[in-house]
Amino acid sequence: MNIELNGSEQINTSPVNLWESVIDPVVLQRAIPGCISMTETGEGQYQMTLELKVAAVGGSFEGAVSLSEMNPPHSCIITVSGSGTLGTGGGNATVAITEGDDGNALISYQAQGEVSGLVAGVGQRILMGVAKHLARQFFAALKKEFAAA
Amino acid sequence: MTEQKYKFLSTPRRPVEDRRFVAGRGKFIADLDRPNMLHVAPLASHHAAAVINGIDASAALAMPGVVDVITGAELAAAVQPLMNGLNTPNVRRFPLAVDRVRYAGEWVCAVVAESRALAEDALEKIIVDATPQPFILDAEAALLETSAPVHPEHGSNLLLDRKFVWGPVDDDFDAAAHSLSFSVTWGRNSTVPIETFGVLAEWNGWDQMLDIWASIQMPKYADQIARSLDLPGNAIRVHYDVDVGGSYGVKRGIKHSVLVGYIARKLGCPVRLIEDRLENMRAGDAHGPERKFDITIAFDQDGTVRSMKMRALDNAGAYAGRAPFQLGKPISAIVGPYQINSVAYHALSVTTNKTVQEAVRGFGQAPTNYAIETAMDRVAEYLGMDRLALRQKNLIRKDQFPYLIPSGSYYDSGDYHAVIDKVLAAADYPAMLAERDRLRDAGMMAGIGIAACLEPSGGNSSFEPLLNQSNQTSTWMESCQVNIDALGKLTARIHTTSSGQGHETLVSTVLGEVMQIDPELIRITRPNSLESLPGNSPVGSRMAIMLGGAAARAGEKLKAKIMAIAAHRLGVAIDQLRYEGGDVLAHDGRRFTWDEMVELAHRQYHNLPDGMDPGLASFDIMQVPTGDALPVDDKVQMYPCYSFEFHLLLVSFDPIIGRPDIHSYVIGHDCGTVINPAIVSGMTYGGIAHGIGAALFEEFAYDTNGQLLTQSFLDYLMPSSHEVPAIQIVKHCTPSPHTVFGQKGSGESGYLGAPAAVSAAINDAVSSLGIHFEKLPIRMSAISDAIAAKTS
Repeated sequence: MNIELNGSEQINTSPVNLWESVIDPVVLQRAIPGCISMTETGEGQYQMTLELKVAAVGGSFEGAVSLSEMNPPHSCIITVSGSGTLGTGGGNATVAITEGDDGNALISYQAQGEVSGLVAGVGQRILMGVAKHLARQFFAALKKEFAAA
Repeated sequence: MTEQKYKFLSTPRRPVEDRRFVAGRGKFIADLDRPNMLHVAPLASHHAAAVINGIDASAALAMPGVVDVITGAELAAAVQPLMNGLNTPNVRRFPLAVDRVRYAGEWVCAVVAESRALAEDALEKIIVDATPQPFILDAEAALLETSAPVHPEHGSNLLLDRKFVWGPVDDDFDAAAHSLSFSVTWGRNSTVPIETFGVLAEWNGWDQMLDIWASIQMPKYADQIARSLDLPGNAIRVHYDVDVGGSYGVKRGIKHSVLVGYIARKLGCPVRLIEDRLENMRAGDAHGPERKFDITIAFDQDGTVRSMKMRALDNAGAYAGRAPFQLGKPISAIVGPYQINSVAYHALSVTTNKTVQEAVRGFGQAPTNYAIETAMDRVAEYLGMDRLALRQKNLIRKDQFPYLIPSGSYYDSGDYHAVIDKVLAAADYPAMLAERDRLRDAGMMAGIGIAACLEPSGGNSSFEPLLNQSNQTSTWMESCQVNIDALGKLTARIHTTSSGQGHETLVSTVLGEVMQIDPELIRITRPNSLESLPGNSPVGSRMAIMLGGAAARAGEKLKAKIMAIAAHRLGVAIDQLRYEGGDVLAHDGRRFTWDEMVELAHRQYHNLPDGMDPGLASFDIMQVPTGDALPVDDKVQMYPCYSFEFHLLLVSFDPIIGRPDIHSYVIGHDCGTVINPAIVSGMTYGGIAHGIGAALFEEFAYDTNGQLLTQSFLDYLMPSSHEVPAIQIVKHCTPSPHTVFGQKGSGESGYLGAPAAVSAAINDAVSSLGIHFEKLPIRMSAISDAIAAKTS
């Protein structure tokens, strides 16, 4: 099934700091829900392991993440593909970072993806909700990174 | 009248099997355990279509408790492809995907481990490198030459494309005053038994024997396993004393069985595979027909229906199997219970990237009945004629039997008008009409559904030679063995598994009737396939006719021997003797008792007639009545018996919510002589519930990416006691002239007409808005959306 996710969040840091964080595997591993490991495999290329639970089904995902059309610290495209016991998924997100009036960063994203396998078949009725929930968790964690600093 | 005629038949007797089931003492596949048994979990494809580049199972194999990982490549090198019904040798199917996957959920490989849980854990560690491919879900689209074939080697998606013309179709259309065309679609549903499919295989190398226990309902099951594994037929021993927790056609796990048989042989250990619910729904290869009908019907102003053109396009899913034959069975009742003079039938079956189709209750008859009954309603609507009057005008009359239909089958017997009259009286039809109108006046949408349908029964599998000329099948025999032991007790052997049909009750009742012995005292055993006579399992609504027939005939043979012994002993001619409750009475009052007879037969050879073999045993291998010829000119007698059912129900729903509420449901049912009333009623109640599901709820729905969305009972909706009303069964008995007691089939009763009747009721409710629902299931969302579109 196809998933679309759009939104924007304000983060209490400068666009440059935010940019540095979202391309830092260490930060990403902390912020991405269920992320067990995240290793940089090349320029803008990452290998990621996730442990997720959707409805009654849970399992692990192995995924590849790549950043392209990078325009620091303004925008990039994140492409994700992965597979695991729950299914196979892929998608991309256009991410833009702008500076607000208060100097803080505003990050907005437009993502679309497609998932197949068990997660699509069994999880379809809650998948959108889960996707939104995971996005909220991610940004909450990201905000925490800068709240602590 | 039947009440007096029989001592045990047609009397209210508790089914023999119920005792162990009610007490929870059935023996199902999950109850079977063997020492050192290994367990299998299959890995499901995430993609609707993909090329498999490689499978890395190294991490899985390294896990403790994991014994082996079997891939399609390994299996394809070791076993023969599974059987296809038609000559489609390039549509090859193996238990596991070979080189490419063709539907989401298809088994890519299988983990063998010391427990099912360990096997499932290991699945997570297998890495499949697959490249997604274009896929096709819609049957019409699959027909297009531009569509990628599901099996490139086959060259197209077409499995079956046969045109039949029976009778003067063109002349009848020319002569008819009117014609109309419409399309309806039967959605993909199935039976989804609570017990999923399971199979246990054990190889004994010293005996060279593969023992199989399975929750199976399948003709020639042992033969198919032997062919696939390249083993002699007598190296496969299928144990029939396994209880099967529901089937209605779908328990045909041949791919599971070949896989498990292969693993058991390879590893030398007992191996068991039991599907979980998700595996059952998406990859049990047990979806039912998904069929689009395009119908043109020719009729006169007075309502006489003259001719019908039907195109039926079936979506078989990713592999062929026997799916195309489900377009064949309906040929045996292609005009329903009506006098329609000619028919043109175009049967098409295509492959798509959906789960594989399997036989489901009625083997394609329920969809066709739905199409025919929709046609009758459309004609009535076109002419402004009462739907009931139109049917009564076109129904075959009692005095016309045996009635030859254009496609070559004789209907054996029936009194359709009498059944309908009984139903109308039982339902108080005028009051039902008044209630419908009252509901409408109160602002509800209300409708009455009517359906008159046939259940062809006693199958001879004649659709095989009809649709596949190289197939010369002209028998579909069934057998029974009977033995009287040295202490005088009867034991009968049946040669199949049972999935709720009550075969033990059937045989003990029939034998009890013939031998005039209390059925409770007769033992029924279910030996294994190597100790069995030939049979074809309970399919095609045939066991009352065929197993009941074989049991009765075996009993008659025994009785003939008893009479010969008695005549010899008493020194009188056989025609001077009367059999009575096991004893034999001479006309002069002398009595030769059962105990004496047993003593003579088992111990006193010197007192037996010259040349008579000792002992008391008989068997019968029965040919299907009337099923003695291959098709000629595309015509054949397909089934010996035709049961009739007439459905009448009242439905209402709120126009905004659209949730149908069935107020009353009456069915008239004539399946000839009933052997066990409780079993027949149970079949009918369940069949109607299943039919309500097909009409309103149940569907294997796919998203646009080919992912099955309804894989669990949370999404695949079935009617519960909230949706199934109290059902009144009105019984009628027109015996069949072709069977031992006049019995006909009833294993598909209710289901064959309920979807048509429920659809008719919903359509009647919205008729004032000019809405036609043309696809099953008719979901409540479809109802409310259609009404909103018309009224806003």
